Amino acid sequence: MRLHATHITRYWYSDPASMCHTEVHLAPRALPHQIVLDHELEVSPPPNFTVTRQDYFGNEVTAFSVEQAHRELIVTSRCTAEVAAEPPPNLDLSPPWEEVREETARRATPEAFDAGQFIFESPLIRVGTPFAKYAAESFPAGRRFLSGVDDLSHRIYKDFRYDQRATTVSTPVDEVLASRRGVCQDFAHLMISCLRSLHLPARYVSGYVRGDGKFVGGEASHAWVSAWCPVFGWRDFDPTNNVMPQGDHFTLAWGRDYSDVTPVKGVALGGGEQVISVSVDVREAEPSA
Amino acid sequence: MKSSNSPTDPPVDPTRLDEARREEARLDEAWRYDVNPAFHDEVLSPKGDLRPHWSGLADSLDAMGHTELARRWQQGRRLIHDNGITYNVYSDPQSTARPWVLDPLPAVMDPAEWKSIEAAIIQRAMLFNHVLADLYGPQRLLRDGNLPVELVLPNPAFLRPCSGIQPPGGAFLHSYAADLARSPDGQWWVLADRTQAPSGSGYALENRLVTTRVLPDVFRGSHVRRLAHFFQTYRDSLQRMVPANRENPRIVVLTPGPYNETYFEHAFLARYLGYTLVEGGDLTVRENRVYLKTLGGLLPVDVIVRRQDDHFCDPLELRADSMLGVPGLVQAVRSGNVAVANALGSGLAESPAYAAFLPGLSRLLLGEELKMPTVATWWCGQKEPLAYVEEHLKDLVIKPTFPESRRNPIFGASLSKEEREALLTRLRADPTHYVAQEQVALSTIPVWDDARLHPRHMVLRVFAVSTADGYAVMPGGLTRVSKTLDSMVVSMQSGGGSKDTWVLGEAPEPPFTLLRPTAHPLDVSRATFDLPSRVADNLFWLGRYAERVEAAVRIARALLPRFFQESDSDRAAGLNAGLSILGALGYLNVEKPKEADLLDMIYDPDLPNGLVWNMHQVRRTGWLLRDRISIDAWLILNQLDRQFSAAPPPEELRVSAAQDRLNSAIITLSAFGGLVMEGMTRGNGWRFLDIGRRLERATQMTGLLRDSLNAEAPAGVGVLEAVLEVADSSITYRSRYLTSLQTDLVLDLLLVDEANPRSIAFQLARLVEHIDQLPGTRTAIRRPPEARHALSLLTAVQLADVRELARDDAARAALLDRLAEDLSRFSDTLTRAYFSHAAQSRQLAAS
Repeated sequence: MRLHATHITRYWYSDPASMCHTEVHLAPRALPHQIVLDHELEVSPPPNFTVTRQDYFGNEVTAFSVEQAHRELIVTSRCTAEVAAEPPPNLDLSPPWEEVREETARRATPEAFDAGQFIFESPLIRVGTPFAKYAAESFPAGRRFLSGVDDLSHRIYKDFRYDQRATTVSTPVDEVLASRRGVCQDFAHLMISCLRSLHLPARYVSGYVRGDGKFVGGEASHAWVSAWCPVFGWRDFDPTNNVMPQGDHFTLAWGRDYSDVTPVKGVALGGGEQVISVSVDVREAEPSA
Repeated sequence: MKSSNSPTDPPVDPTRLDEARREEARLDEAWRYDVNPAFHDEVLSPKGDLRPHWSGLADSLDAMGHTELARRWQQGRRLIHDNGITYNVYSDPQSTARPWVLDPLPAVMDPAEWKSIEAAIIQRAMLFNHVLADLYGPQRLLRDGNLPVELVLPNPAFLRPCSGIQPPGGAFLHSYAADLARSPDGQWWVLADRTQAPSGSGYALENRLVTTRVLPDVFRGSHVRRLAHFFQTYRDSLQRMVPANRENPRIVVLTPGPYNETYFEHAFLARYLGYTLVEGGDLTVRENRVYLKTLGGLLPVDVIVRRQDDHFCDPLELRADSMLGVPGLVQAVRSGNVAVANALGSGLAESPAYAAFLPGLSRLLLGEELKMPTVATWWCGQKEPLAYVEEHLKDLVIKPTFPESRRNPIFGASLSKEEREALLTRLRADPTHYVAQEQVALSTIPVWDDARLHPRHMVLRVFAVSTADGYAVMPGGLTRVSKTLDSMVVSMQSGGGSKDTWVLGEAPEPPFTLLRPTAHPLDVSRATFDLPSRVADNLFWLGRYAERVEAAVRIARALLPRFFQESDSDRAAGLNAGLSILGALGYLNVEKPKEADLLDMIYDPDLPNGLVWNMHQVRRTGWLLRDRISIDAWLILNQLDRQFSAAPPPEELRVSAAQDRLNSAIITLSAFGGLVMEGMTRGNGWRFLDIGRRLERATQMTGLLRDSLNAEAPAGVGVLEAVLEVADSSITYRSRYLTSLQTDLVLDLLLVDEANPRSIAFQLARLVEHIDQLPGTRTAIRRPPEARHALSLLTAVQLADVRELARDDAARAALLDRLAEDLSRFSDTLTRAYFSHAAQSRQLAAS
C-alpha cells in the first residue's frame, strides 16, 4: 500500500526567540517492506544551517538552526512510501524465549551482537522486578518467544487504558505501570521495560499509523515495539492497537527509547512562553500515473 | 595483593635496594617522627634510616630549624590567602570557598623511580586512548569479547551522539591523570584514572609557586625538575588541535562556573596559559561554528579546553536538562569546526571496572604488559569475581560501576553483619553495577604542624598531556595527604591537605617560564574586545550594587545622629524626612517608618534591600567575577560582607555600634572604589563597572532629591541639611556659599554642578563619555539608542533652571520624574545592546 504522511510541528513563542537549534528524526527508513518514494522537510523561517547525517542506530537525522528573531517555528515533513503488508509469521515456530535470552547474551553472531544493545536500561526504560513480574504471565517456561511477545502486547492493550490526559512525555514508565493509563509512547516503553527485564531484546520504533479511524494514534506521531529473535529477526508489535503492523504503519526511526528518536527536539534562546501544536495526517496516496 | 579478574597481573617489582640506601643518613633529632611499620614511609626506612633522595631536604631542614621554617611559612600562608587559592566544598554551601591546605614540606621523588612511574603513566594514557577510539568507533573490543558490553552500552557516560567523531590527531585524551599509591612493600599501584577533565595540575603548579617562594634556597640546591615545560607542552598540544590553519587561534577554558569545586584552578590555568575563561552561556553556535559572545561581537573559537563534564556540554544532543551547555556544540565538533579537549565522551573510561581488564587490553592493543598494576579490582558482573567478593566483602571497598550514579564507596570493613548481608543482596540482584577493590594500605609521609612532624597517608596524582607522538608526564604532581593517620581517605573534599611534589633531576635545570613571548610575537593589542558579555553584565551590576550599598550606608549614617538630638523641631522634621526618603527609596519595607526600622535596615539580614542583603548582592556578584577583579578588591568585598554579617550587638548598644559599623563601611567602600579607579585597566570591563556605579549614583540622587524636596513636606533647613549630608556635599556647600541653606543652591550643587562628583550632572557626563567609547557606539554610523538616552539625560540636566525648580514644585517634580524614568530606560537599552544574550535557553517542548 502506498502511504503519504504530512507531519506539521508548530511552535509559537510569546516573545521573539533570537535563535534555535533543532534536531529532527523525520525521515522514513528504507526497509525490505518499506520503499521510500519521496521525503521533503520544510522549515519556516528558513534555517541558516542544515545538516543531515546517520545517527548511532542508522536513522537519518537532520539538524538545523534558525539564527534570526522569530515568533513561530514551523517544521513540515512530507513523505511517501510503498509499505508491503507482509503476512504475519507463524509465531509458534520461533524459538523458546529462554533460548532467545541466551542467544542474545552470547552475542555469537553480528545480529545477536546488535540485538544485545537493546537489553539494558536506557534513559526512559527501567529494568526490574515489577516489570518482570507483569511480563512473567506471558512467558511461562518454554513459551515460544514471538507468541509470548504477542501475548504481552495483547495484555497491555487489554489491561491499560488509552488516556491522553493521564501522562506527559516525561511520565516515568514505573508510573505508567502503576496507573495503567497512557498513550502509545507509554505503552511502547512499558512493553520494552517488560521484555528487557527478562533480558530479551526490544527496541522503540517511532513512526505513523494510518489515521482513517481504524487505528488509535493516527492524528499524532505513533510509536510501537520491535522484538528480536534468531532467524525471524526484528518483528514489530503495536500494543496500542493490539496488532502486528501490516502495511498500515509507517516506520521513521528506532532506538533504545523515545529519547533516541524524538521526532522534533530543540533549544531556543529567549522566546518566553511557548505553545506547540502537532498534526499528522497519514492516508493512502493516489498512485501516480 | 590478591589476584583480580585477570589472573596475570605483572609480578611486583622487588624494591630496589641501592647501596646508597644503606647509607647511615639519619634525620636530625628535632625532625624525628614515629613511623608505623605497617606502612611504607616515604622518608624513613623501617629501621628509621633516611632514604637517600631525601637527604638534601633533610640537611636543609636541619640547618633551618623549626623556628626559621615557621617564620618562612607565615609568608607561605599569606601567599595562599592573598592568591585566593581555594577549593569549593559541596557540602558547605554557606562558605563555599575553603582555603587550600598546603604543607610546606614537599614530597620528594627519586629520579630512577620517577622514570618507571613516567613510563607507566604514558602507557596507560595511550591505552585508554586506544580503548576510547575503539568504543567510539568499530567496537571490536566488544564484538570480540575483550571488554564486557555491560561496561559500555548501559553506561550513561557512553555518549552515542559522539560515536564516530574523530578527534584531531586521534587524541581522545588531551590530558590524563592517575592517582597512585604505594603499598607497604614499596610497590606503586594505580588507584583511579581521570579521563574526563582531569583536575589538579593547576593546584600542583600553585603548590610549586608557593613552596619555592618559601624554600627558594632549598629548591635551588635540590635540582628539582621544573613544571613550566609541561605546560608549554600542554599549550603546544592544544595548538595542534586547532582545526583550520589559523594564524592566531582562540582557545578558551570552559568552566561550569564559580560553584564548581575546582573553579579556582579553572581561573588560574586560564590566566597562566593565556586563554579566556568562559561559561557555556558565553559561547554560541552560529552556522555550525562556535563563537565567543563579547562586547565587540562574536569571535570564532577554535579549541575548547573542557573542565565541565561532557554530558552537560550540549543540551541539544546530550543531556537536555543541562543549562550549562552550548546548543549545537556536538555538531560543530562532528563537522571538525571546533576541537574539544578532552574529547566529548571520554568520561566513559573512568569506570573503575575497566581496571580488571586492563592487563589483557594492554597486551592486545599495545602488545606489552601493563607497567604498573591497578589496585586489585573485581567486577561483579562475572561469576568468579562475584564469588570472591561475596567471600571477602569485609576486606573490600565497593564502588558503583558507573561513577555517574554518584554513590559513595562503601568500605566493607565498616559494615555490621546485617549491613553486609543487605549489601550482598543488592549486589547479587544487580551484579553488573558493582565493582570491588582492595583497600591499599597507603604509604605515609610526614606533615609539619609548626612544631613537629606527623606521618599521614598519601596519594599522588600524576598528569600526562598528549604530544605529537604520545604523551608527556608532568615531572611532579599533586600529592594529597589524609587528615589523620587513622583515615585512608585522601581527598580535599574530606578535609585533607596537599604537598608540592619534587622530582629530582640529574642536573640543575635552567629556569623556564611560560610568561615570555611566543615564537611568533603578536602585535600589541590594547583592545579588550574579547571581554565576554556575561562578564560585562556582572561588572555593571557589581558597580550598581556597590554604589547602592554606599548610598544606603550614607543615608543611614546621616540619619542616625538625629536619634540622639531631638531638641529642635527642624531636626525632628529632618528625621521624619529622612525616614520617608528611606521608605520611598525602598530601604524600609513599611508604610510609616519608625526609628527602630532604621536599625532593622542596618542589622536585619532577612530584610530585602536592607544593608546586609545588599552587601550579600555585592559579594555574590564579586564572587562571579573572581577571575576578573584583583585579589585586593576581592579581599575588600569579603571584609565588607564580614562587617555586615556580624551578629548585632545587644539592644542597648545598637545605636552607637551602628555608628561604628557605618563609619568603617564607608571607609571600606571608599577603598573598593579607589582600587577600582586606580587598579583596573581602562578597558571595557572597567567601563561597565563605572557605568553601573554612575547610573546607580544618579538614580539614588534623583530619588533623594525627588522624595526629600516634595511639595507635601516643605523643604525646611533640617531636610536640606540631611540631604547635603547624605550627598556628602555639606563641606562643599559651606565653603562655597557661606550662607544658610537655600533650596536653589542645594539643587545647583547636587543636580547641575558638573564639578561636584556627587551631582547628577557629573554622573551623566561620565555616562556619556563611557558610552561614546563602547564598541557599539564606536562602530556605529549613527548614535545607538543607549547613547542617545545618555546624551538627552545630560542635556536635560544642563538646561535646568535651578531658581525656577526651587520655586516651582510641579516643574521640579516633573524633571526629577523624567530623570528617574529615563535612567531606568537607559539601563534597559544598555542591557539590550550588550547583555541581551542573558536570555535563557530553553528546551522546545517535545513533539
